[in-house]
Amino acid sequence: MTETPPAPTDPFAHDVLNAAEGLDPVNPAYGHVIRIATALNLIPIAIAASVADRLIMPRIEGPYGLVTTAAWLIALIAIAVLPTRRVARWGFKIGEGQLRVARGWLFRTDTIVPFVRVQHIDVGQGPVERLFGLSHLVVHTSGTHNSTVTLPGLHADLAAAMRETIRRHIQTDFA
Amino acid sequence: MSEDAVPGTGWQRLHPATLAFAIVRLGPRTLNFLPALAAIGIAGKWVYVAPALLLFLLVSLVIAWLHWLRFRFAVGADEIVIESGVLSRQHRTIPFDRIQDVSVEQGLVARALGIAKVGFETGAGGGKENDAHLDAIGLDAAQALRTTIRAHRSEPLSAAANVPEAASAPSGEDRLLFAMGPRRLLIAGLFNFSLAALAVVGAGMQFFDGLLPFDFNIFNPMDWIDVAEGYGLDTWLVAHRWVAGIGAAISLLFIGFASGIATMVFANWNFRLTREPRALRRTRGLTTRTDVAVPVKRIQAAILVTGWFRKRFGWHELRLQSLATDGEKEKDHQVVPFGRLDEIDPVLDEIAIRRPDAGIPWQHSHRIVALGGFVGATCAALGGSTAIAFGQPIGWLAVIAAALIGLFAMIGSRFHHWSDLGDMVAIRRGFWKPKTTLLPHASVQSIDLKTDFILRPFGLATLIFGVPGGSSLASHEIPAIPVDIARDLRARILAGGACA
Repeated sequence: MTETPPAPTDPFAHDVLNAAEGLDPVNPAYGHVIRIATALNLIPIAIAASVADRLIMPRIEGPYGLVTTAAWLIALIAIAVLPTRRVARWGFKIGEGQLRVARGWLFRTDTIVPFVRVQHIDVGQGPVERLFGLSHLVVHTSGTHNSTVTLPGLHADLAAAMRETIRRHIQTDFA
Repeated sequence: MSEDAVPGTGWQRLHPATLAFAIVRLGPRTLNFLPALAAIGIAGKWVYVAPALLLFLLVSLVIAWLHWLRFRFAVGADEIVIESGVLSRQHRTIPFDRIQDVSVEQGLVARALGIAKVGFETGAGGGKENDAHLDAIGLDAAQALRTTIRAHRSEPLSAAANVPEAASAPSGEDRLLFAMGPRRLLIAGLFNFSLAALAVVGAGMQFFDGLLPFDFNIFNPMDWIDVAEGYGLDTWLVAHRWVAGIGAAISLLFIGFASGIATMVFANWNFRLTREPRALRRTRGLTTRTDVAVPVKRIQAAILVTGWFRKRFGWHELRLQSLATDGEKEKDHQVVPFGRLDEIDPVLDEIAIRRPDAGIPWQHSHRIVALGGFVGATCAALGGSTAIAFGQPIGWLAVIAAALIGLFAMIGSRFHHWSDLGDMVAIRRGFWKPKTTLLPHASVQSIDLKTDFILRPFGLATLIFGVPGGSSLASHEIPAIPVDIARDLRARILAGGACA
């Protein structure tokens, strides 16, 4: 089921992680989705930091420019460099009757949901995802922990196909 | 089943006493109106105060009456329909099939009037909003409603020749599984020693200090010294300090025990747990009597709780995690509040969960779980040292706290055990309040295997189980076990659960 050779991987090589655990990578275009979402979040914050820097630092005789530089530098790294790595750490596998989703590296979570436990499925598409023809799949279980498992960065057709695969397995086990 | 599938005729209203409750509830709400009244009064129009108040009460009553008038419900053959709302009407249909639990609750006033509040647990997420309830109907009607729903639920399944179900249901007879008499309540209350009430009493004492007819604060040793002096003991210079200390200690103990016994008696008076054909039914309470049924099929996990002290006397508490929640506060159903293991075992038998034998091999989590506590302790110690360095002796408190936190983290890290029993997992944790969770594989909905930058170098992983119902007591997780064992366990549990 999850025959994954516990190969000692180089913890700093981000793209071998999925291969080592026997997972499929998500669509690389998802990196652009993350990039745009991050930009939409961080640029306003960086602008706010710059304005605050300009207004406050002269008053308290502080080093003007430090906060501004730091804010834009962090934003730049988060927008330009990190999305590729973050995408590489998402992995999924449609196994025999179960869906496996792994994410993250610093805090890595590897979730398995058996199809028979799925209550219902959503396939969603945000405006940014639509630009790149991607969808995300949300699987709902009846557990309170993990009651929703989200898998982003799937090609829209693949997401629909996965939904059909899972849907065939859903059957009520209610007494 | 299809005598009157359309509930067109049997519309019922709530008991008229609902209006009485509405009046009672008006009391606190009048307080909101007080500023307005005060404003009228300050404006010098004292004549208008009484009429304004009356008008407010009248309008509220009319609204309550309209609500009552526009609230109706009907019990159909296989569903219950509730219509409510004065201006925006709400029409809700609940099929009996989806009702997991019918609870009957009676407060003090309700018991005097012979009415009860009926709640329907449908297992829909999203809290109170989604749980339908009938505020006040006659107790007879409530019991009849519950019987109807229960009879409906047992119908289709008995036809389906469910063998283990038929075997465990001896001719529909209700059997008493567990009961608590006054004696047991007293013992339980003594173990329930709690100083939580003390803070309340203490705060009250401070607050009412000037109001009390006598000037005596039982928490103030000086007051006890005064008492001692009053009896002419002031010559016994050393002795009267002892009197003061002992007096304070005795009063502390007394309050702790009294509040423990009182909470136990009020909550669990006349506690009865009975086995019904398809459910465990619990009735309890001194002033507010509740009557809750937990369908056996819906039970997801059993949690055995005890305390480090009561464990030495063999006392345990049994809680069951079910899809429904127990009342509005509790997540688990407390089915045995205080009992011996040989009293708990029959209850566990009924729900086909068996307690692990004493001899099973427990595996333990890596000691790294203490790290969080150590980090906290280090922060506290650093903060305290800084404070001391700046000449604040209060920093010593933080340093002592740091030592204690570190000690507890170290002790606590030794009390994380788990064992796979073939068809269920047993997770044992806690030193101060040991909890044993018995989680059947079939209840597991999803499993997370988590590693992070601390666990990974050790080759460790944490398993977290997604279980329906959710528990406030124990998130179902096995922290910091070797990653291969974790993978293996996960595969086994999911394989077993998927077949069931």
